[in-house]
Amino acid sequence: MISSVNPALKMVAILIPGVLLSFSFDIFTPLAYLIFVVAFTFMFSNIPVKKWLLVFTPFVFLALGFAWMTMLYTSEGFSGGSVLFEFWWFEVTTGGLMVGISLALRSLCFVALSLMFILTTDSTKFMLSLMQQFKLPPKLTFGILAGYRFLPTFKHEFEVLRQAHRIRGIGRAKGVKGRIEQFRRYAIPLMANAIRKAERVAIAMESKGFTGETDRTHYHHMTIGKKDWAFFASIVGTFFIVIITSYQLGYLNIFGRQF
Amino acid sequence: MMKQWKLKEIVLMSIFGVVFAVIYLLFYFFGQGLRNFLTPFGLAPFGYEIIFGIWFIVSIIAAYVIRKAGAAFWSELIAGTVQVLIGSPAGPQLIISAAIQGLGAEAVFLATRYRNFSLYVLVLAGMSAAVFSYAWGWFQSGLAALTPGLIIATFSVRVISGALLAGLLGKYISDQLAQTGVLRGYALGKEWQEKREKSAS
Repeated sequence: MISSVNPALKMVAILIPGVLLSFSFDIFTPLAYLIFVVAFTFMFSNIPVKKWLLVFTPFVFLALGFAWMTMLYTSEGFSGGSVLFEFWWFEVTTGGLMVGISLALRSLCFVALSLMFILTTDSTKFMLSLMQQFKLPPKLTFGILAGYRFLPTFKHEFEVLRQAHRIRGIGRAKGVKGRIEQFRRYAIPLMANAIRKAERVAIAMESKGFTGETDRTHYHHMTIGKKDWAFFASIVGTFFIVIITSYQLGYLNIFGRQF
Repeated sequence: MMKQWKLKEIVLMSIFGVVFAVIYLLFYFFGQGLRNFLTPFGLAPFGYEIIFGIWFIVSIIAAYVIRKAGAAFWSELIAGTVQVLIGSPAGPQLIISAAIQGLGAEAVFLATRYRNFSLYVLVLAGMSAAVFSYAWGWFQSGLAALTPGLIIATFSVRVISGALLAGLLGKYISDQLAQTGVLRGYALGKEWQEKREKSAS
């Protein structure tokens, strides 16, 4: 299952194809990899399809918008081929269309990879494994976890602020200037409170003996085992298989150069 | 490298990272709306560029308040990571872009050896983050496939946005926070305190 893979290694496994995919400008490579990622997500996790689609669908539209924009503004290096149609002062060529579709598929690949990560990863475990596997300083790890913990309390504080403003007779703002002033009225006290809390938490941590030493003991041990490497190998390995297949079929296109 | 940091400074930086992660995420959706609005005019590429500076602001604020080596880089990296944790659709790639933007801002502060935090330097840091992030975007989101004219236009808009929304706004917010007195334990608050004492005497 993907949810039991070591989160830090999972992140690396997803980043490698995520970065390398940026080199490809053809249609086949991102499409093949996208199909693999989606299939892999559903085979090895119990994310409900409905939930996944709910998050994924908006990005299909976004990707289409991106493809449309790229098509209209294709640079000369990519806009080869015949002119398909003209639109206002834009000329859409087959080359432009191909690059547009490729970039849309690429961004969908990124989204699918991210969803695989986000929907299967516990944030606390992610931070702990960053500390234990990647040797992130404990001061930083626990600092972030403490900050993360405050997130839900902001909503409550915002509510309190709103009521405090109201009881003093400050209503809703009108106009752009009023809106900006209103934003300032909420943002500054909210942040000031957060800063006070940060100071208090830091003092509490130190008074309870937290020194930030790296040779400390851990309550939750994060490990990397065979299963984690199997996940890593299948995500990264498949990417290279896709690249090789794409190369042999003659589709591979890196930065506008056909191979 | 975090040896000379106090724990409270690290926690403060983390909190900044968390708070701005939420703001960044909100602006992501705001940018989406802006872009949809501009699409019919064929100006969709500018949707994000206009507000791009907001994504560098935490670097400026953290560096300006804490004034230690690495503040700009780490705070931006934390904001990027937390954004992924709270479910940004941009995904783990965001961590890399955040690191690069942070490096962009950090480079300017490093050049002044963490001694000069005037408005001029802060604005420059915002602009530098914009340049770094554009270079990365050129590579990552396939900007290479766009016409040179559009690239120059979006690049200039992003740099200006970095100067205003990150540099100028970042300084304004930090100064407002210092005025409330909560930053007394940090470098910026101490500077304010000194100023106050001087004007009183």
